[in-house]
Amino acid sequence: MKRIFIPLILFFFLMLEGVALDFLPVSILTSDLLIVPHWVLLFLVMTAVFYERDTTYYSIIYALIFGLLIDVVYTGILGVYMFSYTLVVYLVLGLRKIFHGNIYVTLLLGIISVILADVAIHVIYSAAGIIQMMWNDYAINRLLPTIISNIVFLLILYPLMAKRLIRWREAHLTGRDTL
Amino acid sequence: MNLFRKKRLFIFLIGFIILVVLIGYSISERDDLTTAEQFINDTVGWGQRIIHTPVNFVTDVFTNINDIRNTYNENQLLKEKLAEYTGLIYENQQLSEENEELRNLMEWMDDETIRDFNPIQATVISRSPERWVEQVTINKGTQDGVETNMAVITAEGMIGKVQSHSQSTSTVQLLTGFDQFNRISATISREDSDDVFGMIEGYDQESDSLVFRIIEESDQGLEEGELVVSSGMGGVFPAGLPIGSVIEVGSDQYGLTRTALIEPAAEMYNINHVVVVDRELPDGDDEEDEEEND
Repeated sequence: MKRIFIPLILFFFLMLEGVALDFLPVSILTSDLLIVPHWVLLFLVMTAVFYERDTTYYSIIYALIFGLLIDVVYTGILGVYMFSYTLVVYLVLGLRKIFHGNIYVTLLLGIISVILADVAIHVIYSAAGIIQMMWNDYAINRLLPTIISNIVFLLILYPLMAKRLIRWREAHLTGRDTL
Repeated sequence: MNLFRKKRLFIFLIGFIILVVLIGYSISERDDLTTAEQFINDTVGWGQRIIHTPVNFVTDVFTNINDIRNTYNENQLLKEKLAEYTGLIYENQQLSEENEELRNLMEWMDDETIRDFNPIQATVISRSPERWVEQVTINKGTQDGVETNMAVITAEGMIGKVQSHSQSTSTVQLLTGFDQFNRISATISREDSDDVFGMIEGYDQESDSLVFRIIEESDQGLEEGELVVSSGMGGVFPAGLPIGSVIEVGSDQYGLTRTALIEPAAEMYNINHVVVVDRELPDGDDEEDEEEND
């Protein structure tokens, strides 16, 4: 039963991203700053750090599915988020073997993954000719505000979810033993 | 170890090929979403409808506090406007009666004009978090009669057009996301001289305004603040939907035609209730389709 919690939470964040911009004041929305919520990605990173064991790859499968869902629901250009999220979560899975899971590591991995994912999205959109944006403008107007706002989200998410994910991993482990 | 590296590279390359194929498929001209996409859109839309209500309530509280501060000034302004409107209503009644009489006189049996439309009321349930893709999702779809390319308006003016539709939701491309492939035939109406005709040819990010290329100029130059409305000549949108007002006039990069920058009349943020405009007069394409179906 607890296995279904993670996809449900991811689905909840997916839907919440659609109303995320309503939380920001209009003055920020109409300015040049582009703040993009990567909440699904941040939760995937936390899953990769706290829920995965050495032999499991749930977070990569979830990254594939929910990346594709974001593409279908919010952009209509398929594959972009799916590819970037999956790649980033794969890298995080590799990196977490080096680090021990605590808040600083999670923050660091969160920042790295947001940067990588957002840059990957920028590169793909530029290559596909959907946007034209200079790297300078992109870094100042989009990347920086996006990183900062997503760190704030991660700081809220961490105390709520970290312990739970570890508990679910243990439950999953013992649950499998009884099967 | 070497084998693993090769395997990884292989998977990465396959992923990359899938990415290119998917992007190519979704950018290409396609009329309808696939069934799978429609199903996903409807399912997520169903969830969003539930989430939207409490979130909207919370954000509305903050907006309301802001609004209350401006209430007094707005009230004064509105009272003045209201006094003007009583005169206008009378005038309007007379004009519409006169119009009807004249139409009867000309024996226009067909009541449908380029101006008429069926409004489909809808609520915005989400907005794309990807800021480069300017689109919102509304809670009406194919079942309510929404179709691709219908204009979407708010009380203030036009905000965009329907990009794709699922069974019970549809996505609306906002004016701010328009490019040269989404043109709107538009006009500036003049009382005492010829009307100005032209095309809205996309959105200029730098000046935050729509680009209006003038095709047929009037003998009088454009002035700032003049209202641009859709002309209905494009065959998709009905005539008379307000688009925006002129803020600057200049010539294009080759100096051959003149372009004007238009500030959209409607606000593109904080959109809540919209109306999907279903043009009553069928356009050329539809008639052909119907003939083919017969």
